[in-house]
Amino acid sequence: MARMGILVSPELCIGCRACQVACKSWNQLPGDKTVNRGGFENPPDLTPHLYNKIHYLEVPAATDVQRWLFVNQRCMHCDDAGCMKICPSPGALYKTKEGAVGINKDKCIGCKLCVAGCPFNVPRYDEKDKISKCHLCYDRIANGLQPACTKTCPTGALKYGDRDGLIGSAQKAGYAKVYGQTDLGGLGALYAFKDAPKVYGMDDKPAIPETVVFWHKVLKPLSYIGLGGVVAASLIHYVAIGPHKEKEEEEKKNG
Amino acid sequence: MIKKAGAFEIINHWVMAISCILLAVQGYGFLFHIEGIGSAFGGFNSMKTWHNYLGIAFSVSLFFSIFMYLKEALTFDSDDIGWITVLGGYLSHKVKVPPMGKINTGQKFFYLAVLIFGIGISASGYVIWLLPGNKQYILLSHIVHNISFVILMIAIPVHIYLGTIANPGTLRIMLSGTVPYQWAKKRHPKWVAEVERGHKA
Repeated sequence: MARMGILVSPELCIGCRACQVACKSWNQLPGDKTVNRGGFENPPDLTPHLYNKIHYLEVPAATDVQRWLFVNQRCMHCDDAGCMKICPSPGALYKTKEGAVGINKDKCIGCKLCVAGCPFNVPRYDEKDKISKCHLCYDRIANGLQPACTKTCPTGALKYGDRDGLIGSAQKAGYAKVYGQTDLGGLGALYAFKDAPKVYGMDDKPAIPETVVFWHKVLKPLSYIGLGGVVAASLIHYVAIGPHKEKEEEEKKNG
Repeated sequence: MIKKAGAFEIINHWVMAISCILLAVQGYGFLFHIEGIGSAFGGFNSMKTWHNYLGIAFSVSLFFSIFMYLKEALTFDSDDIGWITVLGGYLSHKVKVPPMGKINTGQKFFYLAVLIFGIGISASGYVIWLLPGNKQYILLSHIVHNISFVILMIAIPVHIYLGTIANPGTLRIMLSGTVPYQWAKKRHPKWVAEVERGHKA
């Protein structure tokens, strides 16, 4: 099946946070107790019970006093996902047929390596020490529905659909370069940015940490090539050179 | 017969050997998502618990080993250079190997490698286990844990091979702790001389 995705258009977002509420409602997530920090952004960051949130940004503007940007933050559902790469437990993180990065809490072993492997600082851990993050409403999309957040978005700032189709529609709407089109093998969450990604609080070039890539490409193969190599070398040594026996001494003693 | 290892040293070595082998098997299970290894330890969730606590056994036995081998392993003389030039006689039974102390040059290097990378793999393991909040610490520990793993997986099979079938009779050091006098005199003459001097004094 074609890869599905979400197109986020901050220019269309009115900051109503209905997406946050809809997500909590569908996924039956409790509210987080927070304090008034004097702004609309609340909670201040993703939590184990908050899979997506609106990031409020005030940036200088040419014509007005300031420009207000509302950026939906969530799991980006990378094609080449750092969390999946580093995870030591098979099946804890998996790809759904729609291309979402799903989670299976029963298989999560609570090591938290995915937190270090994620380029976007997304995975959180719940009170049972299990991974918690947006899974693109895998239960809804598998049944032909759209995720709760996009379903409820009143302005079209969040759109769910065929990933290629979303990219096409964003380009038609005048966004020459869609954020996430090619990064990390292509993100499942695409962003229609008018300005540089930095303005919206995003990395220009998100990437899996270099040490994780080195580990995956070099150390993992070395771990069995090295072991296999020395076992083979030992066998060859045993056959070609042979064990070091104490023949002379035994002969002397016996003789 | 002559005593080469005491009871505590033998037990300590077995604790380290068994924990190390189990930890390594689990390591391959985690690295390559091998379901069979996970099942053998009751699933990946309980394998992680096993991995943590076997890690304690490994690091504690590594700590005690410092008092057993470090001083000897850091003592080098011209015989050690001679040992290196003939490659310890491992590649030919005809070469004459310089006289060795209680442990030979290869064993010294092996011990230092186990100590350095054993500390590396233990310390990084504790960081991943106990301090999972800091991304930079975890990434550093993850790479240290895996580099140490690769090196230990090369060094330890050689140690097992040389301590068992490559040198028949060596394994008894890990069982009874005693070795025949002639064997010791041939392989570790400087140590035997030392022991005899000690007896006389």
